[in-house]
Amino acid sequence: MYKSTGFVSFFLRRFTGLVLVLYLGVHMWVIGAATKGAETFNTRLELFESPVLKILEILLLAAVLYHGFDGIRLIIVHYFDVTDYRKSLFYAAFATSALLTIVGGIPLLLYALGMWS
Amino acid sequence: MLIFIIQRLSAIALVVFLSLHMIVVHYPPGHLDFSRVLERLADPLWKAIDIAFLFAVLCHALAGTYAVLTDIERVTPLKRILAGVLIVLGIIGVAYGTYTVLSFQPPASMLAVH
Amino acid sequence: MANRSFQGNSATIRVQRFNPDVDEKAYFDEFSIHLEPGTTILDALREIKSEQDGSLTYRRSCRHAICGSCAMNINGKNMLACNQPLKDHLDRRGRITIRPLPYQPIIKDLVVDRSVFWEQYQRVKPWLIPPQDVPEKEFRMSPEEVEALKDAEKCIMCGACYASCQVIGLNRRYIGPHALLKAFQKILDPRDSVPGERLAEVAGDDGVFRCHTIFNCIDACPKELNPTQAIETLRKLAQKRQAFEAMRRERQKSLIVSTPTRTAEPSGD
Repeated sequence: MYKSTGFVSFFLRRFTGLVLVLYLGVHMWVIGAATKGAETFNTRLELFESPVLKILEILLLAAVLYHGFDGIRLIIVHYFDVTDYRKSLFYAAFATSALLTIVGGIPLLLYALGMWS
Repeated sequence: MLIFIIQRLSAIALVVFLSLHMIVVHYPPGHLDFSRVLERLADPLWKAIDIAFLFAVLCHALAGTYAVLTDIERVTPLKRILAGVLIVLGIIGVAYGTYTVLSFQPPASMLAVH
Repeated sequence: MANRSFQGNSATIRVQRFNPDVDEKAYFDEFSIHLEPGTTILDALREIKSEQDGSLTYRRSCRHAICGSCAMNINGKNMLACNQPLKDHLDRRGRITIRPLPYQPIIKDLVVDRSVFWEQYQRVKPWLIPPQDVPEKEFRMSPEEVEALKDAEKCIMCGACYASCQVIGLNRRYIGPHALLKAFQKILDPRDSVPGERLAEVAGDDGVFRCHTIFNCIDACPKELNPTQAIETLRKLAQKRQAFEAMRRERQKSLIVSTPTRTAEPSGD
């Protein structure tokens, strides 16, 4: 495969997209428990409160943020001629999503480690 | 071209919906459970927003899956079947999701209090 | 990216070899050549072929970046071999790796089968289809209209962009940056009378909507052209096809009308 920042962006966007589609299925299954009543719903939701899954949630957050910011980058590329700063734009999208993952991920991490209620 | 337009429009809708979702549902820290979701979904406006959100997500996810798979040369001849399958999954998803949102009803005991 | 840290006077050239008559799979050969200040990558290949291994096979012709024959993959990036100084592409140990253009079947060594590349070019009908009423003298175009076509005219059809595009890697039916740039040139040309048909062709499943703005084509192009921007413009036009067609019909009326048919004309207009 021809290696370049454009390729990395393309590959990560697709990879996170597919991960999110799979997550969507799981999410719909979990929330769907509401049709069986409050008890089932709460039990199912608790499955995802374990520390391991909370850590995975941080990865999920990273995937959502990366996919979203890369998507916004695509919309900018569509409306403006970004040729001269195409690489910077990619780095900006990546950096913003990394930053927000850390910001949003710290509460999740603390929760997983039992230091948050 | 249609897939492209659906992708872009649903993407913009999702940026809005998802930000809203993150702030309203996940930001207030604390334990998430049925009663907390119920508080929000009791309001029919929130039910409507969630259903619209679901529709946008399914449009984007299924159009995206279609685009990713038809980019592969081997899949291109199967694109009509793929489209059919994804549309059916979309309809099932919207139906099941709407049914789920509408089933956030307070249990009978709580109704007595109101 | 130039690496000026190599100071020696001989370079190691790693070339990918493959002879379908005798080899089962491709392998690398290494050659050592004398490095002089003006040596280009093509010079190195020529030296190897004439003095060390006559069976080394590659395409070349003009050796000054206009024929487009010598595009190949140097250290993982596509470029022309004739306009690249060898020392700019040597690593610290004085090595360079030369492979054929990716995503296309190899005929022999560095020569690839470009039939699909040319077929896609044919597919967009890269010739002018003028209107029925042709003016007596010339078509008059404004400087802005000519300017819009300048980029695409410089294309030398070397294939560096096409072979750098991962969408091609996934799907040979994708029209490709080279042909889409030419299609752009014809669609924006006010002398062309079928922009609607052209837009319909490039807006199909294999066309402009398959581009994922990976930008490798811009990086690879030896003439610094911009197929991605052309494709973005075509995407916008494809969504407003009928309006664009109507605008072209109006423009062509003035193209014909504005050209006087009298024979006595002051020269140097």
